[in-house]
Amino acid sequence: MKMRELAGRIGARIYPPSETSNPEVTLVVAADTASGLIAGASPQSLLVTGLANTQLIRIAELMDAPGLCLAGAVEPGPGLLEPARASGLTLMTSPYTLEKTRRLLEECLRGVGAART
Amino acid sequence: MISMSCRIHGGDFDHGGQATRQLKEHLVRLGVSGAVMRRAMIASYEAEMNVVIHARTGTLWARVGDGTLDLEIADEGPGIPDVGLALREGWSTASARARELGYGAGLGLPNIRKNSDRFDLETRVGRGTRVRSTIFLEEGSAAKAPAAAASVAAEEGSPDTSQGPEERALAISPRRCTRCLRCIFSCPTGALRVHADGPILRASLCVGCTECASACARTAFGIREDLRLKRELPVTGQDAVLVVPRACLLSPFAGRSAAAVLNALGGLGFSEVRFTEEWEDAIRGEARLLASRPGAPVPLIPPLCPAVAALVESRFPSLIPNLAMMAFPLDAAGEEFPLRPVVLVAACAAQLASASSSSLTDRLTVTTPAGLCAALRAGAPRPQTPWSAAQAERAPEHPAAQAAAPAPALRAPRPPLAQEAHELRASGVRDVLRALSAAESGALGGITVLNLHLCAHGCSGSPFVTPDPFLSELAGPRLQPLLAGARETDACVLRRSAPYRQRTGMRLSADMASAIQALGRIDELLRRLPGRDCGACGAPACALYAEDVVMGRAGSASCPHASLTPEVSP
Repeated sequence: MKMRELAGRIGARIYPPSETSNPEVTLVVAADTASGLIAGASPQSLLVTGLANTQLIRIAELMDAPGLCLAGAVEPGPGLLEPARASGLTLMTSPYTLEKTRRLLEECLRGVGAART
Repeated sequence: MISMSCRIHGGDFDHGGQATRQLKEHLVRLGVSGAVMRRAMIASYEAEMNVVIHARTGTLWARVGDGTLDLEIADEGPGIPDVGLALREGWSTASARARELGYGAGLGLPNIRKNSDRFDLETRVGRGTRVRSTIFLEEGSAAKAPAAAASVAAEEGSPDTSQGPEERALAISPRRCTRCLRCIFSCPTGALRVHADGPILRASLCVGCTECASACARTAFGIREDLRLKRELPVTGQDAVLVVPRACLLSPFAGRSAAAVLNALGGLGFSEVRFTEEWEDAIRGEARLLASRPGAPVPLIPPLCPAVAALVESRFPSLIPNLAMMAFPLDAAGEEFPLRPVVLVAACAAQLASASSSSLTDRLTVTTPAGLCAALRAGAPRPQTPWSAAQAERAPEHPAAQAAAPAPALRAPRPPLAQEAHELRASGVRDVLRALSAAESGALGGITVLNLHLCAHGCSGSPFVTPDPFLSELAGPRLQPLLAGARETDACVLRRSAPYRQRTGMRLSADMASAIQALGRIDELLRRLPGRDCGACGAPACALYAEDVVMGRAGSASCPHASLTPEVSP
């Protein structure tokens, strides 16, 4: 599923690196630790986390993950947005907790339907 | 073969992961992708971040070649007090700051291990940690690896066609051989034969000692210098460390004083010269401590000499539990300086084989006394006036000192360990064999530590270091003036990562029934041989010749004293 559609379905705000950027994701990897994220990351996965530091960008880059979702209504600062844009990563912020965000995203990907709550 | 290295700075979370990013760029250019790339990134990133989180500084090395990606990440840091705990998921000593950033989940080392086909960790508390990870570039190769290892083990027991590490380290010049047969009678494991075209080595039996070289008057035996990790000296311009047997500073450089040799080494870029004996002393001290603990196997045999360990593995397997689980002195020395170029001077084939397999990085160079000597001769001209490091410190205005690179620093030995009543020292093949035989038969009651060297008087007595082992004893007193004011050695022992294993080189066949059958044929043939053990057949004993014939390694017509009928030949 495309990230813009996913963001729309769960009510997340999206920060694409360009107007046309809209990567496809097929998996959700949620973790609040760097090791947890990198162990599950893959080129098709959306990384979901409550962390907000530049190491997230590095992990996504290394693992070729197309996007990052910051849970818990964490707003990305310029220190995160700029490197994400430079790396071609799509960022989104979810208003829900990490666990709820993960569940909603997985439901969307499974085709359960609109997960908007 | 492609290699890269990248420095990692402890505490620098902003730039953490950059070394792995560089590695990725290299791998992408090589066409690595998919699962292999993913595993490489996880292993490398976790190891790199461990340095950032825990250490002061570190370096990541990577090498691609022979179908593998080899990673080595070494740091200067606190080390890991309990490796077992550190490898357990969920255990971490990360700081509060690191945890705030999402680290400290206790998954770093477990993640590296999970994603490696080979994983190795060495650590020293207060010094640092070295992690090695190998990833097979061809997906699915990992599953084949155990089978490959098993096939090597099986080959060792079959007719001898494989090369052991010692054979690869031992160079034979057949043209120099005069068929005097001294070498075959001196070999403690019966690994040598002399045929018409010169000496032949049975790799699986060779323990890498120097007996054949000591026995040969025509220098037909030497140490090979073309092994992996051999790099050309000099290392000018680097903060390099040289580790040598003490006598190396004296004997190979006739006409030069020790101070002049040190000067020349400074010109090659060495800032520090350390002696192999420093790590031997550390191992001896640790062995004494271990042997005093309840339940310790006695007599404990500290691994001072890799050839002794190999001898135990091949001829005295019942003593394998008595070998202390410590790395050999030269291997420990190589790991003592994780971030500096280190040149190790191996005194024998066994040391060269062991040290050459201990590291993956360009940082480590293994050479021989002859190699070092050649480098010194080819080095930049040095002032002929001898001056010591201590003199240079006292008189920096000396014109010669100003013009030259500073002489490398030395470390003074710790106060010598007094020989205790429950310790036995032996050196030289004959005495070592007697000591091991006595230990095996339980005749060494009361002895708790066996300090053994296969070369007479230790590594400095190797024929590749000194022409006469007794000359090596001069090294200590002659170096004393240069050690005045030097800091005391801080050499440490290193835990051995791989267990000792029985060598199967003497086994006739991997299959018991075939071995029994072969043994019967050997006995039958032996009865037909004269039992003179004259060596005329090229084997050191009639029994070994009979074995060679039955195993297809020799023809049945080599004995001038007996005619062997065809039915007993293979």
